[in-house]
Amino acid sequence: MTEARHCDDILKAAFPAVRQNDPVCAKSSHFLVPKDLLPAITHYIHTQPSLRGRLTLLWACDHRPVRDTYGLYYLFTLEASHHWVVLSTELAGTDRLFPSITPHIHAAQWYEREIRDMFGLIPQGHPDLRRLVRHEHWPKGTHPLRKDFSWDCVLGRQQGEHRFRHIEGEGVFEVPVGPIHAGIIESGHFRFSVAGEPIMQLELRHFWKHRGVEKLFEEQTLIGAVPLAERVSGDTAVGHSLAYCQAVEALLHLEVPRRAKYLRSLFLELERLYNHLADIGAICHDTAYALAHAHCDRMKERIMQLNDRLTGSRFLRGVMRVGGVTRDIENAQLTEIVEELNRIQPDFSEVGAIIFANASLTDRLETTGILHEQTAWDHAVMGVVGRASGMNGDLRRDRPFAAYDELPVNVALYRYGDVRARLRVRGDEIQESIRLIRELRGRIPEGPIANEPSCSPNPGDWTLAAVEGWRGEILYMVMAGEGGRIHRCKVRDPSFVNWPAIQWAVLGNIIADFPLINKSFNLSYAGNDL
Amino acid sequence: MLEATTLIVAQTTVLLAVSPFLVGLIRKVKARLQLRRGASILQPYADLAKLFKKQPVISTTTSWIFTATPYIVFASTLTAGLLVPTFTSQTPMNFSGNIIALVYLLALGTFFLILAGLDAGSAFGGMGGSREAIVASLTEPAMILSIFAIALTAGSTNLSTVVHKTAVLEGIMTDPSPHLMALAALFIVALAETGRVPVDNPATHLELTMIHEAMVLEYSGRHLALLEWAAGLKLAVFLSLITNVFAPWGIATTVAPAAIGIGLLVYIIKIAVLAVLIGVLECMFAKLRLFRVTDLLGVAFILALLGLLFFYILRS
Repeated sequence: MTEARHCDDILKAAFPAVRQNDPVCAKSSHFLVPKDLLPAITHYIHTQPSLRGRLTLLWACDHRPVRDTYGLYYLFTLEASHHWVVLSTELAGTDRLFPSITPHIHAAQWYEREIRDMFGLIPQGHPDLRRLVRHEHWPKGTHPLRKDFSWDCVLGRQQGEHRFRHIEGEGVFEVPVGPIHAGIIESGHFRFSVAGEPIMQLELRHFWKHRGVEKLFEEQTLIGAVPLAERVSGDTAVGHSLAYCQAVEALLHLEVPRRAKYLRSLFLELERLYNHLADIGAICHDTAYALAHAHCDRMKERIMQLNDRLTGSRFLRGVMRVGGVTRDIENAQLTEIVEELNRIQPDFSEVGAIIFANASLTDRLETTGILHEQTAWDHAVMGVVGRASGMNGDLRRDRPFAAYDELPVNVALYRYGDVRARLRVRGDEIQESIRLIRELRGRIPEGPIANEPSCSPNPGDWTLAAVEGWRGEILYMVMAGEGGRIHRCKVRDPSFVNWPAIQWAVLGNIIADFPLINKSFNLSYAGNDL
Repeated sequence: MLEATTLIVAQTTVLLAVSPFLVGLIRKVKARLQLRRGASILQPYADLAKLFKKQPVISTTTSWIFTATPYIVFASTLTAGLLVPTFTSQTPMNFSGNIIALVYLLALGTFFLILAGLDAGSAFGGMGGSREAIVASLTEPAMILSIFAIALTAGSTNLSTVVHKTAVLEGIMTDPSPHLMALAALFIVALAETGRVPVDNPATHLELTMIHEAMVLEYSGRHLALLEWAAGLKLAVFLSLITNVFAPWGIATTVAPAAIGIGLLVYIIKIAVLAVLIGVLECMFAKLRLFRVTDLLGVAFILALLGLLFFYILRS
């Protein structure tokens, strides 16, 4: 608390014009900031050595029909205390302009372009105002998250061309890759400028399959939107649904039983396990080292079959609900999980030893696709990718949720930022997840697995929830509407933040190594393209 | 004349029949080593049959080179195959060419493949083409030198003579070191030329990492079938070359039916063993970084050169 007061005092002393508001959730401060002051105060929070705020989320909200304003919200995580600082401002009347913070804070660039596309608010001074989410064929003036845009409206098409950044010179070629690929991967376009093999520039063009997820949330009730959250990114069903449930529970002032919290941690770790195993196999596969791939896939399959036996879903769908979990895991089943993990762990340790002892593989992984610590900080990169580049952050430790307040997590941290470091982070986290599940079985209390919600929130109440999914931090902002419905739900998969960082990690690498670098990031296209 | 014609027909049939088997065998070995059941060894035959039935799709921006390339590649590889002894030490086209002809027949196919890759105008074709050009230009000297090391011991650049002399142990030096050096060099060359791990990955779906696959990315239907078959043939040619030049024993040195029968059986066993070896190697190594491939091929060249030097040192 003293930490919190400390940062509040610093901010109020530096900017007397800000007004402090009630905090929206635990370990956070909320300030109302005049619009013109935004660049200065965000820059201050970002660079002030005692604060070092990382831009964690930036979202907008159409407050109609309650009041005719647009709200802009900036969430910073302070580096030392992991305290959240929310800044908010309002654009009233016909005002559609807000000052861009991108010139000072690089991490804001996609958020501000997204807000421009979805709300039609213009970030003044943004260096790159090309469309991001709304591709050029979307008709002019369509801004789906405005309240006057109906969710089932059918859009026409218009002519338009996306202008890529060009590098010109002798022997410089552009290589367009995607959005249709040879393998079974999602749609993303990568535009390389290469001089021979080395990559001089990479530009991403994503958002090919906009599903309108955030708009669809606004058609749902608070209680009923869990299945939608599960489907934001198919491989992160638990992470997304858990973050969503936590947000709604905070709005409903609903306490979750201890047993349910433990089970939530269990499901989250099982999800982490099968995805990390798949990733390690896939990274090896991209270097044509098929042996490790085959073994990792075998272990992943065993975890998925375990998931199926436990929950009826290989992807752990349908286990979360607001107020707890939908199904109990009996003690016999917990024993079964631990026994299965006891069989997998030596297997995995052996495969890991083979992977890291193989000279030909090590040669491919080391120094490939280095994401420097400074670049990672500038882009607010986190999760697996961040922890491989020295970003020491893990919400399970920093802002404990579910049962992690009683289950301390050892965070894997590497600094080299190359493909091998990202592989190592995953390897360490697999071992740590297995350890956590073992410990969790010893500590899990008896009791109910869900509480029923009793009250409904006031329209306009909002809160934030964060979960450390297997890719990194998943954030949900949920604002309640009339009659238990959702007014606005902002979904932030870690992929949205980490994707732009790839553009820097590949520089100077050869184009033949790009698939490997991309695989070591393994970001979600769906979670990015809402 | 009749004998030569029969031999040409026989060897063509054997090469065409055996090459999909080799591809299927390598895949099967890899699958088994990865704990997979894997497709049948005969699957490549079924793939070819299916592809031949399909209509090829040809981009409107391509020139005649694109359509002609599959036939040129197939024909040149097959012709090269007829210059290499397989089950009998008599090569069918003995009269028309030697080792050097073999090397450049294969190079002709590569050259047209590169052209075709560029012709389709896709970014990947050009990329694959430029990579293939690097690999091909580095394998060629290593290949020629390693075969020369053998040719010197046998005193001829004619493969039939080389193989025949080795098979009957005539004029062969007691010290095998030039042979061993050349063998290692030629094996590396074979891996590079046939697009195997660690140089290329025939199983990849990643367009950006491909070499051979990137060049044939635009092909479909019977054109693709011809190219796949030609790739299998090239593998068979290299495996035949390696087995028969370095370990020709068992090969038919006369045209007696019994000798030919034994020769055929031994030949198939030998190349199958080599194919299994390639499959095992592919499971043990990751693919090299693209720019490390040159190092590997440099090693092949040096080995071949050492083989040559050893020949002179040992003779004097």
